[in-house]
Amino acid sequence: MTIFLSGGAKNGKSSLAQDLAVRLAGDGSLYYVATMVPVDEEDRQRIRRHVADRAGLGFQTVECGRHILSALDGVDRTGTFLLDSVTALLMNEMFTDVGVDPSAGERCAAELTAFIRAVENAVIVSDAIYSDAERYDEITELYRAALARADRACAAACDTVIEMVAGQPVIYKGGLPK
Amino acid sequence: MVLIIGGAWQGKLNWARETFELTDCDVYACTGGEIDFSRCCIDHLEEFTLACVDEDLDPVSYFEERAGLWANSVLICDDVSCGVVPMSARLRRWRNETGRLCQYLAARADRVSRIFCGLEQRLK
Repeated sequence: MTIFLSGGAKNGKSSLAQDLAVRLAGDGSLYYVATMVPVDEEDRQRIRRHVADRAGLGFQTVECGRHILSALDGVDRTGTFLLDSVTALLMNEMFTDVGVDPSAGERCAAELTAFIRAVENAVIVSDAIYSDAERYDEITELYRAALARADRACAAACDTVIEMVAGQPVIYKGGLPK
Repeated sequence: MVLIIGGAWQGKLNWARETFELTDCDVYACTGGEIDFSRCCIDHLEEFTLACVDEDLDPVSYFEERAGLWANSVLICDDVSCGVVPMSARLRRWRNETGRLCQYLAARADRVSRIFCGLEQRLK
């Protein structure tokens, strides 16, 4: 089963995602696909907190900040993959050392679709950043549109689509695993 | 009347096109404080409410005065209600007026749908 999970900040996405991944994995392989490339102490703290949350749950961590299909090299594709998050992956793909890549959204959409189709079980986490009263600069708006493009591709490819609100799952498509 | 709301870039217009079999010429995309109600689908109401703020017009009164013109329309608006209170007075007023208009329209709609990643959540 493949699950796409999004919603606003601090609504319980990561903890539900972990819970779902553990349930889907059963006795099979369980991977955490870490997409965040830390740039400062705040990032490193967040990563430490998430690593502690996952301790003892049986996750093997696969570091993959770019080219998400490369995360599948040498792993057991019949296993369960928790990818957290599309937001960080797109950030790495779009804002590179050589500048802003406007095709990153389309590329992430295609690669994530292929990723979701290639594995037995996946839980894909993203962030809903689309409902504030702000007029953003061109680059930020480009990123928002690209993230939404990737999100919609994941939502179309996954069996289940969930929006997390205050720790409660709102199901738009499919169902939760038993 | 159908009201479709949701965050920016969520595929609201695409969903409306497919669900209500709309073509390009059915759709009017708001750019200012006037709406062409001869089209059956009005998109980007949040651009209309921003223009209302800039032109000091009341968006709810605008719709009230033209109640017969949109009784069978598909109306689409970005949800702009979920961020930090904007620093700019213009955008604060925009947020308030957009929320007021959406509530007014939702109360009168036969169907209210919220679109998330291209998928519908039926609110009414």
